[in-house]
Amino acid sequence: PLDPASSLPQSFLLKCLEQVRKIQSDGAALQEKLCATYKLCHPEELVLLGHSLGIPRTPLSGCPSQALQLTACLSQLHSGLFLYQGLLQALAGVSPELAPTVDMLQLDVANFATTVWQQMEDLGVAPALQPTQGTMPTFTSAFQRRAGGVLVTSHLQSFLKLAYRVLRYLAQP
Amino acid sequence: ECGHISLSAPIVRLGDSITASCVINQNCSRPGLDSQILWKLGAELQPGGRQQRLPDGTQESTITLPHFNHTQAFLSCCLTWGNSLQILDQAELRAGYPPAVPHNLSCLMNLTTYSLTCQWEPGPETHLPTSFTLKSFQSCQTQKDSISDCVAEDGQSHCSILRKHLTLYQKMGIRVQAENALGTSVSPQLCLDPMDVVKLEPPMLWTVDPSHEAAPPQPGCLQLHWEPWKPSLHMSQKCELRHQPQLGDANWTLEGPLPAETLQYELCGLLPATAYTLQMRCVRWPLPGHWSNWSPNLKLRTTEQVPI
Repeated sequence: PLDPASSLPQSFLLKCLEQVRKIQSDGAALQEKLCATYKLCHPEELVLLGHSLGIPRTPLSGCPSQALQLTACLSQLHSGLFLYQGLLQALAGVSPELAPTVDMLQLDVANFATTVWQQMEDLGVAPALQPTQGTMPTFTSAFQRRAGGVLVTSHLQSFLKLAYRVLRYLAQP
Repeated sequence: ECGHISLSAPIVRLGDSITASCVINQNCSRPGLDSQILWKLGAELQPGGRQQRLPDGTQESTITLPHFNHTQAFLSCCLTWGNSLQILDQAELRAGYPPAVPHNLSCLMNLTTYSLTCQWEPGPETHLPTSFTLKSFQSCQTQKDSISDCVAEDGQSHCSILRKHLTLYQKMGIRVQAENALGTSVSPQLCLDPMDVVKLEPPMLWTVDPSHEAAPPQPGCLQLHWEPWKPSLHMSQKCELRHQPQLGDANWTLEGPLPAETLQYELCGLLPATAYTLQMRCVRWPLPGHWSNWSPNLKLRTTEQVPI
């Protein structure tokens, strides 16, 4: 297995940290708009709906600070980002006021996924085939898209919080 | 149609020759009489037309303008009619140069619009309608995965690639292509990651509010605080401060590197009871980027020296 500390270039880690901070700020902007405009401010009020819509969460369990397994960690980070990229795309058609923010968030998540995938390729640990998106939840009403937006963003922020901690650990000199 | 001009080429290089021929059909010339076909370039009659009657009875005149050095002119095919000159057809002639290779291609990433604006030097005037198109590719090595063309507006030497066409944090290849009726030329490739050419806006620089709980500044010191430009908050940065006493032509003194953000910074070692001009700028760091411009002037005065 790859030794985590030495095999990742510092520039890669710095870019990842910068991308996480940007996505977190995009996500916060979307959460603020969902709360201000539609009074959807608390994801915990939408847990039941989330289950019925089948909005998945993604673990980052391959990245514990003790005995971190770099290939598994990068792969999980990429899979998570790839999933959120798909979930955000599934929100297409959300209201015109939210669309620019969702688009920016989706583009930034997609670009972060590319950064991670490119690094996996550089390390020679990327799978031969690019992943393909699984089935995505179907949002059948404007409300479901907005509620889906709250849940997806909330899950994404939790995922990024963990990812940031791992990246900071890897980036420490 | 009385007469019809056909050209060897409607657009030629400046100084090249142009050959034109004009055919007059029968219903515009009097039977049995040879009408004389004349040529006018702009308002001037042009000698040297070679006229002949074609087997089908129509008359044709051919003229060669050896060194056409107008960038634009109208060539008219005329017929003497009584004592007047009748214009039967007119063709626009244009001349110029093929586009030179565009040079000095450079790009800046705008964090407000999140678009990548590239600019270039178009090269000498071609005198012809010339289009400039940014051709960009997802990779610097191959020309597959092209990104949609960015066509500059007429007369402009810049174009902006929208965020949705960019993959941030990945290298992309960019060239600018110039094209007109006489040819095409392409600049050398620029290979960059859009995020590495971010140009920041200056930080906001203030003095610390005196009502703030902090102790008043020492003589010869100023208390400052600053904040980075909001759209760049997610970027790790370093900054520089420069200050200059308002005394004759004093020089700037540079302080740095400084952190991107601080609630309170005491700048000391200054002349007491003196007015100072201060400015600040920041750059993405340690990742690559462009320095912002200097911030607007902040004018402050240091306190008096307490007599001992």
